[in-house]
Amino acid sequence: MPWLGTAATSLPGSWGSAMIDWSYFPFKILPRLQAHPAMQSIRRQPRIWRDTSEFSSIDYGDILHVDNRYLLVVGYTREGRFGIDDQPKQWVPKSYDLETGESNIVKLVFHETYSIRLGDLQVKCYRSPEKEARVLELVRGNPAFMQGYSTLDDADNLVRILDIVPGKRLDKYLQNLGEDHLDYFENHLPYVLERFLVSMQGIMLLHSNGLKHGDIRRDHIFVNRDDGSFIWIDFDYDFYLPERPYAMDLFGLGNVLLYIVGRQNFRPQEILDNPDFGQKVFNTLRVEDMSLLAQDRVFNLKKLYPYIPDRLNNILLHFSAGTSVVYDTVAEFHDELAACILSL
Amino acid sequence: MKNWNRFLIAVDKSETSLRAVRYVAYMVAGLADAHICLLHVYPEPPPDFYIQGGKLDRYQMLREERAEHFLLESLNILEAAGISGRKISQRVCMAEGKTISQMVLEIQREGQYGTVATGKRGVSKAEEFLFGSISNALARHSRDFTAWIVG
Repeated sequence: MPWLGTAATSLPGSWGSAMIDWSYFPFKILPRLQAHPAMQSIRRQPRIWRDTSEFSSIDYGDILHVDNRYLLVVGYTREGRFGIDDQPKQWVPKSYDLETGESNIVKLVFHETYSIRLGDLQVKCYRSPEKEARVLELVRGNPAFMQGYSTLDDADNLVRILDIVPGKRLDKYLQNLGEDHLDYFENHLPYVLERFLVSMQGIMLLHSNGLKHGDIRRDHIFVNRDDGSFIWIDFDYDFYLPERPYAMDLFGLGNVLLYIVGRQNFRPQEILDNPDFGQKVFNTLRVEDMSLLAQDRVFNLKKLYPYIPDRLNNILLHFSAGTSVVYDTVAEFHDELAACILSL
Repeated sequence: MKNWNRFLIAVDKSETSLRAVRYVAYMVAGLADAHICLLHVYPEPPPDFYIQGGKLDRYQMLREERAEHFLLESLNILEAAGISGRKISQRVCMAEGKTISQMVLEIQREGQYGTVATGKRGVSKAEEFLFGSISNALARHSRDFTAWIVG
């Protein structure tokens, strides 16, 4: 009978793998469990969790027993973009399958609701495990998306078990392309855009099935280490925009394209501080050149890099404060970009 | 334009919506063979509704109760203009699996309404991008009918 974790239990004495009572665990997982480095450092009896409701109590070295799999918790993912200060996401442990040796990322149920501010506007945002599970079902086998599946734990929590995506974040990948922006623009950008088009087609697939990505950002595309293809990750956000349900995805795609074309984002102060641009370029900036929603970044990249063709720049300007026309659908945006890439 | 005298007015609780009703009342009063449908379409509940224990029938009941107030006000405006209640119908429905404007357009097609009227809030470009605009959507898709956008 396995030892079941519902609350932390301390056992007396000094701890190490020699003190673990292995009789609590099924025989079939013992070889990998006993050999794992986590068992050398753990200071308590590992627990087996079949109910993951209290995810904040699940610690390193504990075991998740879901879908008839024994998944050892070997770490936690962290919020990717905002640097070292971010806390580990306790509802997203990294796991090691104690029967097969497979590594996965596990997403436990964490419902939260909050508002995000975009300039003067506010949008309500929801973390939705159910939506992510539906997306995983839809995109099974589609290489443009992170793969995985969902299962219910003993308390009917919708646990998602995800494959590790082999690659690096798009923004970090782009940093290493080209000697400078001109080199990047001439020698790398077309191929990056071609792959981004495939990513956009993936989003169109979601929308045509009534689903959203929900959190489109430059660090939610990974570049496959093996073939360079782009892979979407993290689908558990949802928004409540009844009349424009896909607007946040469109907005996110516009921001990603901006980053791809510029290879970074430019805020006015950064332009002023950058010796390549400085006061001269800064003085040319107008409100209309800024982002339509947040007005925090420059979308009119032609003012920074005059060699960017009008056709490509005009696509970016659809997301600027000065636009008179916005894209209604990702398909419209995709088709214009596809035609533009042919002309690059 | 056939069926031009079949009017669909998309209404909500806003003052601009009442202005649209007044405009139609002014234009239609005196027409012998006009028919007016007062339509209110409301959105599906938010994503966390069911997790919070919400029940769809209760949500729909609440939305329909709320709609009664401004539908009655709209009806009064039309009748005060001399339009017989027999020429006026009302409909309230949820935009299930579609946007509000898509639902209005669907009802326009089904009911063969030749004229669709709605109020215009006057939103910024950013608001329109994020939250949409029923009036702009109607104007954009008004191919087989006439759209009256009342500001």
